[in-house]
Amino acid sequence: MAEQDPRVERLLLGQEIADFLYREAELLDERRYREWLDLLADDIRYWMPMRRNVKSGEDEREFTRPNSDINWFDEGKDTLAKRVKQIETGIHWAEEPRSRLSHLVTNVQVQAANPSVAAPQEVAVTCRFLIYRNRVETETDILVGRREDSLRRHGAGWLLARRKIILDQNVLLSKNLTFFI
Amino acid sequence: MAITERRGYRPGLVDLRSGEISREIFVNEEIYAQEQERVFARAWLHVGHESQIPEPGDYFVSSMGEESVILCRDRSGRIHVFLNSCRHRGMKVCRYDEGSTTVFTCPYHGWSYGTDGRLVGVPYWREAYHSRLEKEKWGLVEVAQICNYKGSIWATWDPAAPPFAEYLGDFTRYLDLQLDGWDGREGQAEMLGGVQKWLVPCNWKFPAENFSGDTYHNISHRSVDLAGIGPSGASRRDMGERDVSRKLHVCIPDRGHQTIHYVLPAGQLPPPAYLNAPIVAEYFRYCEEEKRRRRGDEARMVGAPGEIFPNTALLSRQPRTMAAWHPRGPHQTECWRWFFVDRDAPREVKEFLRDYYIRYSGPAGMTEQDDMENWNYAHAASRGTIARRYPYNYDQGSGTAVTDYEYQGFRVPGEVINLTEVQSSEQPMRNFYRRWAEFMEADDWSQLATWRVAERRAAE
Amino acid sequence: MARRRTQGCRVTTPINVRDLVPGTSIVLASGAEAEIVDNPRDGVWLFARYLSSPRDPALVGHEEMVFAQDVVALGRSAPHVDS
Repeated sequence: MAEQDPRVERLLLGQEIADFLYREAELLDERRYREWLDLLADDIRYWMPMRRNVKSGEDEREFTRPNSDINWFDEGKDTLAKRVKQIETGIHWAEEPRSRLSHLVTNVQVQAANPSVAAPQEVAVTCRFLIYRNRVETETDILVGRREDSLRRHGAGWLLARRKIILDQNVLLSKNLTFFI
Repeated sequence: MAITERRGYRPGLVDLRSGEISREIFVNEEIYAQEQERVFARAWLHVGHESQIPEPGDYFVSSMGEESVILCRDRSGRIHVFLNSCRHRGMKVCRYDEGSTTVFTCPYHGWSYGTDGRLVGVPYWREAYHSRLEKEKWGLVEVAQICNYKGSIWATWDPAAPPFAEYLGDFTRYLDLQLDGWDGREGQAEMLGGVQKWLVPCNWKFPAENFSGDTYHNISHRSVDLAGIGPSGASRRDMGERDVSRKLHVCIPDRGHQTIHYVLPAGQLPPPAYLNAPIVAEYFRYCEEEKRRRRGDEARMVGAPGEIFPNTALLSRQPRTMAAWHPRGPHQTECWRWFFVDRDAPREVKEFLRDYYIRYSGPAGMTEQDDMENWNYAHAASRGTIARRYPYNYDQGSGTAVTDYEYQGFRVPGEVINLTEVQSSEQPMRNFYRRWAEFMEADDWSQLATWRVAERRAAE
Repeated sequence: MARRRTQGCRVTTPINVRDLVPGTSIVLASGAEAEIVDNPRDGVWLFARYLSSPRDPALVGHEEMVFAQDVVALGRSAPHVDS
């Protein structure tokens, strides 16, 4: 096979990863949660720290730590699957009637590809999100922030192996987080 | 129908004889303003935990009622609680959540205060104030009283409030369940890093009455019970000790504190729990035996949701948390939640519990999410002119509470309802609102310390 | 941060006192010179000891809080500056 221009390889990989993220967002917004779960690696870590106001220069204390501190989320696939199961009961009142959600995913940047861009098995990708949630009549939440994802090659596609969600809020302005970010 | 003007608080809005409470007390803006003065400026409020400020200079910015306060440890190690507002023009002197410092400096004009609250820095004190400003008069506003109870820090703005221990009265044992080690040693609670803070569009009394011991709302949580997030992989919690225990409502009538409470049968340890996590199961088995050895019959007490008047919630079992419901206007509450584990518990136990706490509690917690939906729309649907004409019903089990309750040799203080028999009651809410009405009506603590009045009469 | 000295003309650009470390010598608006003994890093105040004070010699050796706007330059024995 003729050797490809590395710039083209990077472009193709970037598009492939962005496509994955868009498809994932679409599954969530279309409430196809079971299919969304299928995109998650069995050992996924889904982590959303809380954020503190700290003095400049003390940035290491800005985020709550995974595995030891309290976080908004810090869990694996088992718990994520239970969240799906809870929504599916139809009597999870915080999601019944269901919320209307749109995940806007943008600023997608592949940060690293291992072992190589040409034959990646693991990809680190960052993006910004804007999530619009509207429910019942006028209840509206807007969540904006950054995601740091780790994707793992799975056959012809990818699995989400790690997600860090950085929300640009201190006091959570939404009464709940009944949705995936 | 005659047009009635909306007014502030008046006796009769809380009518416990009929078991009816007016919706006005939740949605009326004038009543809200009055309760800031009459409830939050006079009661003891929970501020934080000493493990948040272990070293001199450490601080944690907390809240008392609507207002921002600084919990800090001064250079000599003494703990203070200050109003977070510069004496000169009111700017917050600290806008960080926590940290360590030598001074709190106002960024507006530069007044600066030591960690003991003293005003230490005034720009151009010699020149502009001609050295005449008396700095000792213009320190940070400090609470009237502070109490460190087994590591939990409480404060009140009212110098006439009784000491915290007296404020708790017979409820002390339930706060002990929260703060003591599972093995029965005193004050072993350790706070996990991170305080959850989030906004809920409802009056602060919705979460307060819910945590007072709402045994009627289990149906709200049906979905999480079906999903099964409990520590043993089923339901939303371990039901073992609950199933074998006597389930009670316990209300301390003159204090306004109340809780759900389980009492194990005499001579019986809780059934084994956490069986799919052997290290955890072994830890709790060991602790239960130790607690029985140290505390004897007292070890039969098992904690459950409760509320210390006015806005501090306890949950002394798993998930072991304390919460404060900070009023943010009549229609909004800022919920804060602290999480605890035994300080000396093995790492595996702490991690196991932490995972459970996160999936259970707070805005992402699969259990609490449904509560907040209910509080939100119960409040919203009570705001209308017509809705306000119709009181809520709090009559469940009225007149059925007993005193001097005893279960197999274990005496329980206060007014008690046996929930094992009747399933549910609203005695805790009646207890809470009875006390709330007393706060709204009493002129000062000489009237609020009703037990002292009774004791005085008895002595005469 | 640029090092500023008193030799020659006085620097008029403001100094960010947040980054000055103890031991640094500072020149005050009064013409006095002082050595920083502690920095609360609030960007507003320094704790400093007077090294010289032409206007009020009694202040020499005295420790007090110095307001950022009074710090006009770094002194002779300067300048330890945090990177």
